[in-house]
Amino acid sequence: MRLRRFGLGLAASSAMFLVGCARNAPQDTWQPKGDNAQKINKLDWMVFPLAGIVGVLVFGLIAYILFRFRDKGQALPTQSHGNPAVEIALTIVPALILSVVGVFTFKGIFELAQTNDTEMVINVTGQQWWWEYDYPAQVVNGVEITQPIITSGQLVIPTGTNVLLRETSRDVIHSYWIPALNGKKDAVPGRINLLRIQADKPGIFAGQCTEFCGLSHANMRMEAVALGPEDFAAWIANQQRNAEAPAQATLAQEGEAVFLNQCIRCHQVNGLKKADGTAAIAAPDENVYSGAAPNLTHLMSRNTFAGATFDLLTSSCRKNVWTASPEEFGSAYLKGVTTDCLNQTDLRRWLRNAPAMKPMYADPIKLARSDGKYRGMPNLGLSESDIDKLVAYLSTLK
Amino acid sequence: MAIIERPAPTASILLRAPVTPSQSMGIVRRPVTSTGWKSWVFTVDHKKIGIMYGVFAMFFFIVGGVEALLIRLQLATPDGKILSADLYNQMFTMHATTMIFLFAMPMAAAFANYFLPLQLGARDVAFPRLNALGLWLLVSGGLILNASWFLGGAADGGWFMYSPNSGPVFSPSNGVDFWTLGVQIAGFGSLIGSINLIVTILNMRAPGMTLMKMPVFCWMILVVQFLLVFSLPVITVALVLLTFQRSFGATFFDVAQGADPLLWQHLFWIFGHPEVYVLILPAFGIISEVLPTFSRKPLFGYPFVVFSGASIGLVGFGVWSHHMFATGLGPISVAAFSIATMAIAIPTGVKIFNWTLTMWGGKIWYSTAMKFAIGLIVLFTIGGLSGVTHAVAPSDTQQTDTYYIVAHFHYVLFGGMVFGLFSGFYYWWPKVFGKMLNEKLGGWNFWLMVIGMNMTFGPMHILGLQGQPRRMYVWTEARAGEGLFNFGFWNRVSSLGSLILAIGVLLFLINVVHTTRKGKPAPLDPWDARTLEWITTSPPKEHNFDRIPVVHHLDDFFHRKYQEDATTGAMVQIATGEQLVRDEEANADAHIHLPSPSYWPIAIAIGVGTLGMGVVYGVPIMIVGVLIILGSSFGFVLEPSVADDIDYDPPMSGGQETKELAPLG
Amino acid sequence: MFTTGSKYCFGIAGLGSLGAVVYMVLVNPSDVGVLALLGIAIAMSLVGGVAQFTGDFDVDSPNDAVTANVVAPANSMWPLVLAVGGVFLLVGMTTDPIIFILGIVIIIAAGVEWALQSWAERASSDSAFNRFVRERALTSLELPVFVGGGVAIIAVAFSRIMLAVSPQNGAILFIVLATAVLIVGFLVSLKSNMKKSTIAATCVLGAVVLLVSGGIAGFSGNREQLVSAAAEDHYSHKDCEASESKYFDKNSENAVSMKSGVTATIRVKDGKLTAQLIGIDTQVQAVTVRRSNSTTILFRNLDDAQYRLVANLGTKKIADTGVEEEIVDCTQMTGKNQTQALILKISKPSASSGPYTLTVPGLEGQEIAVVVP
Repeated sequence: MRLRRFGLGLAASSAMFLVGCARNAPQDTWQPKGDNAQKINKLDWMVFPLAGIVGVLVFGLIAYILFRFRDKGQALPTQSHGNPAVEIALTIVPALILSVVGVFTFKGIFELAQTNDTEMVINVTGQQWWWEYDYPAQVVNGVEITQPIITSGQLVIPTGTNVLLRETSRDVIHSYWIPALNGKKDAVPGRINLLRIQADKPGIFAGQCTEFCGLSHANMRMEAVALGPEDFAAWIANQQRNAEAPAQATLAQEGEAVFLNQCIRCHQVNGLKKADGTAAIAAPDENVYSGAAPNLTHLMSRNTFAGATFDLLTSSCRKNVWTASPEEFGSAYLKGVTTDCLNQTDLRRWLRNAPAMKPMYADPIKLARSDGKYRGMPNLGLSESDIDKLVAYLSTLK
Repeated sequence: MAIIERPAPTASILLRAPVTPSQSMGIVRRPVTSTGWKSWVFTVDHKKIGIMYGVFAMFFFIVGGVEALLIRLQLATPDGKILSADLYNQMFTMHATTMIFLFAMPMAAAFANYFLPLQLGARDVAFPRLNALGLWLLVSGGLILNASWFLGGAADGGWFMYSPNSGPVFSPSNGVDFWTLGVQIAGFGSLIGSINLIVTILNMRAPGMTLMKMPVFCWMILVVQFLLVFSLPVITVALVLLTFQRSFGATFFDVAQGADPLLWQHLFWIFGHPEVYVLILPAFGIISEVLPTFSRKPLFGYPFVVFSGASIGLVGFGVWSHHMFATGLGPISVAAFSIATMAIAIPTGVKIFNWTLTMWGGKIWYSTAMKFAIGLIVLFTIGGLSGVTHAVAPSDTQQTDTYYIVAHFHYVLFGGMVFGLFSGFYYWWPKVFGKMLNEKLGGWNFWLMVIGMNMTFGPMHILGLQGQPRRMYVWTEARAGEGLFNFGFWNRVSSLGSLILAIGVLLFLINVVHTTRKGKPAPLDPWDARTLEWITTSPPKEHNFDRIPVVHHLDDFFHRKYQEDATTGAMVQIATGEQLVRDEEANADAHIHLPSPSYWPIAIAIGVGTLGMGVVYGVPIMIVGVLIILGSSFGFVLEPSVADDIDYDPPMSGGQETKELAPLG
Repeated sequence: MFTTGSKYCFGIAGLGSLGAVVYMVLVNPSDVGVLALLGIAIAMSLVGGVAQFTGDFDVDSPNDAVTANVVAPANSMWPLVLAVGGVFLLVGMTTDPIIFILGIVIIIAAGVEWALQSWAERASSDSAFNRFVRERALTSLELPVFVGGGVAIIAVAFSRIMLAVSPQNGAILFIVLATAVLIVGFLVSLKSNMKKSTIAATCVLGAVVLLVSGGIAGFSGNREQLVSAAAEDHYSHKDCEASESKYFDKNSENAVSMKSGVTATIRVKDGKLTAQLIGIDTQVQAVTVRRSNSTTILFRNLDDAQYRLVANLGTKKIADTGVEEEIVDCTQMTGKNQTQALILKISKPSASSGPYTLTVPGLEGQEIAVVVP
């Protein structure tokens, strides 16, 4: 009777647990979408049930003892001090179980660490509080990258390709984690750490910095986007273009002037020219402690900004991308941020007062210890009309 | 006017009162009163020090608990607004620091201080004044740590304080300075305490008590002290490096100067992992006393429990890098540490089996202490099993720094350590205070804590596996998943659970107040206990034992009460505990010497605290601190261990204030 | 005999005249210092004479008051030490501040010792107890001072020796030394009935050897490597020509960051320059260095000739003159099978102010491109 109740309770609680796991959380570690994560998941499927079985046996035993040997007024038990044979058996059995687990773990560790089948290399750099990706010149699946590509927030990879991320950091330790594609790997300043990822199907996979990295650690997110071969080639081609100057006498052109006046101090737009015709080069190292700010040349080709914390897409457009089927995903993503999909609210709030949206060390008075350099984007004190112009300019950066 | 005075003739000296050593040496009169606040602040009595450790730890348990509640309140909803990002980071840093350094370690020290001499049959610890120094250094460290809240913000780098995020650029407030200094000072206190306890255990056991007849609690405390002796120096080195990096411009972790920030992580975790066992082993010791008592049966496989404890301690030094599986150590290191981590599960498993089998065939009395002990076995096993899942290094890369880890170590530390300590509270309360904690309230306390604990930390397993990272001041709907059972649901369950847990802990406090006011006096042997601390009055006299017991058995007290019937083999009671205590009183030793109270331990601790504040606020304060330390050290060194008659007012008055306890009986 | 007080006065007088003679010989016979020293000597002899005559100014006590009732004061060296301190003080005033400071320290130490000793002698009529009192009070002062001084001497002597011998020899030397100490300690612990004087002699011998070798090492100066390294400044070289100093730090590969996952390893083998990147199994000719990021690059020379790696990082305009200046950074000369590190932090992308290259003077026409995206 009691056992049955115990069994029912167990079944109910494990059902709860499974239901809890089965929902579609974007960072669910039990829904692998690529080979590496799959390998980890297989180990999970070995060790979790094993731990569960051991747990059930131990708790069953305890429950039985608690019931059977309760004080029923029986005589004082014999004062036995133990049984060496039982002891040794109970030492050896867990040791055997664990050595089996150990063998598979060993295999998994070395499989996940191999690099001899790499097909593509991307450099990943963490800083407070966003990720930068640069794609060195290379040939990937027949598509040649001639100019190094630099982007941030969303990592774009081709499907079915073993991509090697070479991670490091400009300031503190961060950790790169796309649960659907692989476990996490820290980005440690001064070190190059390697992380293999591979995605089976086109799609977008959420991630989050998982090494505590200071004030806005919670707002340091990332997304990995996997595109099919043709879509990826198209993306590469677009990313290697320079930005085009906006048409004469438009609001966007006035926005370019504002950009050249303010934003260029930190944010690079490739191909942007100053009024005198020379190339405008950003100098983030003079203003930001980490020495870098996101390259905005193709801002509107990514769906997020500010460390993938805020969406550039309105929520309905975002939903279209996130719920697109693998077949349609590529075209949905490559559309970028069209004018009617642009999330004006958040972008304007950001331009108005960035530190209010995402906590950052952006108060010059308090930054004596970092030579007065910001950590994050300060409040630029832009006027509303400047913001209008900038939004118009930024939406031309496809 | 003589350049040198000649010695006066003997005759004139004889007219004066004879000069004694202590009178010439003691600069001030000793604080010898046995009542009032002075009798606590300047005491060297291990029992009073133990109680003060306990009060201190309980206070910070509540502080840390309030910090935890604020964290849970912030995370109950998406984009919580209760705490700012900055405050949240301070909150989780200080929650961990407080719970580990200001609650768990001091509470273990409270139990160790109080019960070690009693279980060993000793009158005090080996170095009573050092014992007091350890306590006051801890208090000093605790005050410095928490003073930061009011002096520009607490530390915000996490209790792991990873470099370079803990550097002066990335954590510009003084919080981290206070943190490094506070932890260093508290660490000195622990180090002093641990050497003291090691010497006590090795040298001051009652006659006949060989190491293998020593209670398991003493064994676990011994292992813990060795862990502290070997691990605290490592964290001290790391903290000194960090202090130099922050305050004096050193570059130990600066990449641009050719350093490697991972150095900090290695140093930290070489301390940090043994520290985990420092926290859990005292609780293991406590329930290894409670389970046999309430099962009416000796501990199953005493030598296995002892040696598994020792091997946990030993192997605990070889697994630190499992905290660093994601830092890019390379597959060989990861594999080695992964296997070592699995290996440590074996002695831990041995302990679980032995406790379980201790109950097998017993006659189990479900007192509150026993309930908490059983709670520990079950909850710690859950934590242990989830621990095995992240010994698998590839799986760990999915789990580390998520709530799954938070769930794991709270099952181990709350379900394990805190339940063990509460078991100890209920078991030993009558011994310490002479009154029984209310068992009915105790039952409520236990069940609310079990429910609250599982509701708080159980859902965190799911949250972590669904991908919610730790240390984030907000979580967002965008990553919460769909349906009813998403992040939001589990976070709310967890926050609700934390409230229930808080009510459970509150019930304990209510129980304490209730007991103090209206509790019924405890019988001398309320639990039919097994070990030596029960062979004296409750609370014990200042000198612990009227007669130093001579030990013949493991669980000697039990074997004085019961004997095996030669024919039937059944255990037959030959005496009650009460009779035994009266018997001891009747045969008390004459002339019991005890060390006298002293001003200097607390004075040195004040000096060290001042020195610490000086590191933050400038050299003049440092100099004041150094002078206080120097002066008090000389006071400490020069005063004799036993106060002179002249220190008593009026001298030689006899009665309560004699330096030597009057012959008893 | 001389009374205690007069001993002190005569001591100063004697040392004063000695000092005057030394001063006359060494410095200048007609200097005012001689007069001062002689004046002190004369004055102190007079005071000493009076003290002797009056029995230390205590006319009531007879000169020969040592009776059975009175505890005789023990012999004391402190008057003498105090006098020596005074001499140091005076000599230091005219010559070297260090001697002056030494004088002050000696005087303070002797004063404290003297005062405590004489106080202890009067503490009671029980001389055994007085001795106990003295030891109790003074040992707690002396011990920290002696231990501190001892530690300081050992630290200074060891560090001088370490700085003077080469790293390789130093390692061997200290291994041998540590082993010797261990063996001696082991032998002592085995022979528990060993005479105290033997142990003391061993310790004194060790201390003397340490002091003497420390002194020799201190005077002979740092090893050549350190001297030239200090002159050259390990990591940042202003001059990157092939003809510059051939010195290289033989153990520079021991720097912590060089053991970590560095960005790239540049190799010279058979006169060919190649780059090896972590995670990429083939040799490459271009290295991506992230903007504004401290980046460690290793240079490993596998050839017989000595080379150095030079990073050419574009040009910068000097603000005052408007002249374009080349930005160059380089390792030291690197011998066969040696490794050197170069820590770069490049703030401008190569597209705008590049191209950036890594070259090796002496291997013309070969370069590794540095790409800063």
